[in-house]
Amino acid sequence: MEYKVEAHRIMSISLGKIYNSRVQRGGIKLHKNLLVSLVLRSARQVYLSDYYGGVCLNAQHVEAKEWELMDGDQEKLIPASEESLPSTTACDQTEAAEVPEAPQPEETDSSLAVEGPEDPCEAVEGPEDTSSTEPQAEQESSSSVDSTCDVSVPSPVVSEPQCEAKQATVSSLDCETDANLAMSAEGNSHQPPKAHSCSNRKRSAEKKASHGSPVKRTKVTSSNADEEEAEEMDTSNVSNLITIFGSSFSGLLSKDNSEPEAETDESDSGSGQICCDQMLKNLNPWNTAIVAF
Amino acid sequence: KLPGNLLSSKVVFSPDGAGGWFTEPAVETDIISTVEFNYSGELLATGDKGGRVVIFQREQESKNRPLSRGEYNVYSTFQSHEPEFDYLKSLEIEEKINKIRWLPQQNAAHFLLSTNDKTIKLWKISERDKRAEGYNLKDEDGRLRDPFRITTLRVPVLMPMDLMVEASPRRIFANAHTYHINSISVNSDHETYLSADDLRINLWHLEITDRSFNIVDIKPANMEELTEVITAAECHPHQCNVFVYSSSKGTIRLCDMRAAALCDRHSKFFEEPEDPSSRSFFSEIISSISDVKFSHSGRYMMTRDYLSVKVWDLNMENRPVETYQVHEYLRSKLCSLYENDCIFDKFECCWNGSDSAIMTGSYNNFFRMFDRNTRRDITLEASRENSKPRAMLKPRKVCTGGKRKKDEISVDSLDFNKKILHTAWHPKENVIAVAATNNLYIFQDKIN
Repeated sequence: MEYKVEAHRIMSISLGKIYNSRVQRGGIKLHKNLLVSLVLRSARQVYLSDYYGGVCLNAQHVEAKEWELMDGDQEKLIPASEESLPSTTACDQTEAAEVPEAPQPEETDSSLAVEGPEDPCEAVEGPEDTSSTEPQAEQESSSSVDSTCDVSVPSPVVSEPQCEAKQATVSSLDCETDANLAMSAEGNSHQPPKAHSCSNRKRSAEKKASHGSPVKRTKVTSSNADEEEAEEMDTSNVSNLITIFGSSFSGLLSKDNSEPEAETDESDSGSGQICCDQMLKNLNPWNTAIVAF
Repeated sequence: KLPGNLLSSKVVFSPDGAGGWFTEPAVETDIISTVEFNYSGELLATGDKGGRVVIFQREQESKNRPLSRGEYNVYSTFQSHEPEFDYLKSLEIEEKINKIRWLPQQNAAHFLLSTNDKTIKLWKISERDKRAEGYNLKDEDGRLRDPFRITTLRVPVLMPMDLMVEASPRRIFANAHTYHINSISVNSDHETYLSADDLRINLWHLEITDRSFNIVDIKPANMEELTEVITAAECHPHQCNVFVYSSSKGTIRLCDMRAAALCDRHSKFFEEPEDPSSRSFFSEIISSISDVKFSHSGRYMMTRDYLSVKVWDLNMENRPVETYQVHEYLRSKLCSLYENDCIFDKFECCWNGSDSAIMTGSYNNFFRMFDRNTRRDITLEASRENSKPRAMLKPRKVCTGGKRKKDEISVDSLDFNKKILHTAWHPKENVIAVAATNNLYIFQDKIN
């Protein structure tokens, strides 16, 4: 339990650092942000590993139903199911869930659009304010307030290169839809399978003690619903983050992307826009951070 | 042998170069960002965050003042880099001097390379102690004389004048780095040098500023796949075709420029397997190498990561031959150090002239020296209280647990704002320069 709190705290701090790096003098420091993103991934792995360890999460019943709908589709689509998680694989969710999920993340987006770039800053304080469940706290870490945005899907950060590689091929097929849906879908697309397989590896490596630790949750439903809720929440996290990064990055990318992409002999204006589109399509918020650099 | 007794020789560096004490708090632009002795040790260059370079020169030992044995005084001060703005990318480019490297001296003038994040400059530092007087067309104060007033011709004569040290930029090597330059290194051929940023390494000729050769490029086709960056690079001291570069993953690659034009494939790959029992959230950060330095002999190289210094034999790639813990007591504090950004501090390291000892910095203005032969190590502090001129430095100790002895400092009392990132060792003698934020400390071995 305390590992989860610690992991969550580290995630919040890391997000704050990534955000602050954008306003630092001298431009974004690639090295430091790469290291921060690695810490973010590690923390996220640990954090998520507890989800699949049977830890109960905040119940978002509305979203839970949506996920139950998608369940059947997912099981069809995902041949290689990992462990006890039948319901969620990124791509499957993407394909099945694009339409039903669209309204909800969009709701999130609009609420976040108002918040703008303050979110990460508020996020850092969020965890301390929250007295309720961790899923809510995690969500707050990415968006400041919206209580409706409790879509509980584990946040899509891909922690390990293997996960990324595995997911990239699948998600690239799935995520070539239009940007709006892709954004929300993206949020979903990268989550549980990656996190899941990653968390398996990570679990053995660290935090074994947290495996069976009790977690205080305000609402406890069936384990299946719990997992779904977890995923839903993280979806909203992801789409929140995507919104933050995406909206900020699109402006940033047209300028900053010229830094990573521009060679003296490359055209900057085109690559900036292309990168922005690509990023929105293959959205993984942590990679997004790196791309912008 | 480790310097037995280090005396404080010259204590403080102030921004106007006048020397003497000056008061806290440090002005940000005065923070020293690099320290480097030249090949003879006669000159010591420092660069700071404000883009200035200050060069100290060692006084010649004279019989008149035997006690002043080789003190360093300010020799030249100049503004090397200015803040710039890249309009295309809407980015400000810091003027902070990241590295200074001296060129071997070939004539009366001295040359050094200084670099900020984007631009490298070759500076010529020369002395002028004579000036021509008696011009025909202009007065002594420079005003043009009325040609109709000139009735006789005279030959200008060289007259002695007060020594003036001039610094002039001779070459500017710009627009070759997309990312932040972290290293420059002069090749042993004395004609070329390399510059490294996060993802690329370029090879330059000192005479040619409008082009450079890219010799390493680790930028992935898709930036989303980025997993490591270049953190430091150095040319081999004797083999002009060999260089190494370190990465954020704790690996070092040795490359041979004879093998291919683009040295993306290494000749040697140095990596120590990670100890799985010490894994934490921050394992990757603390394994990132912040500095790499060849020994003077060229047989070994030294790397600095966050908690340790490692000496590698170039003939053995699978593990270092020596590992020295700099401040292992920080391992349990990594989370706090992550929060306050200290975990990203990039400590440098250096060899002494005979490669028998190595030195690196730590927090609380502590710096550490390790004797490779006797395995003795010592912790010293660079502080004004302890560094009155001629005062001998007292070894310090950090209490890592249990009862704190007298004169020990507990880990929680360490001041993490006082960090020694840059140190330099005279190439021949036991003289060291230690940069503590905005102060430069020079210590010499005691003369018996």
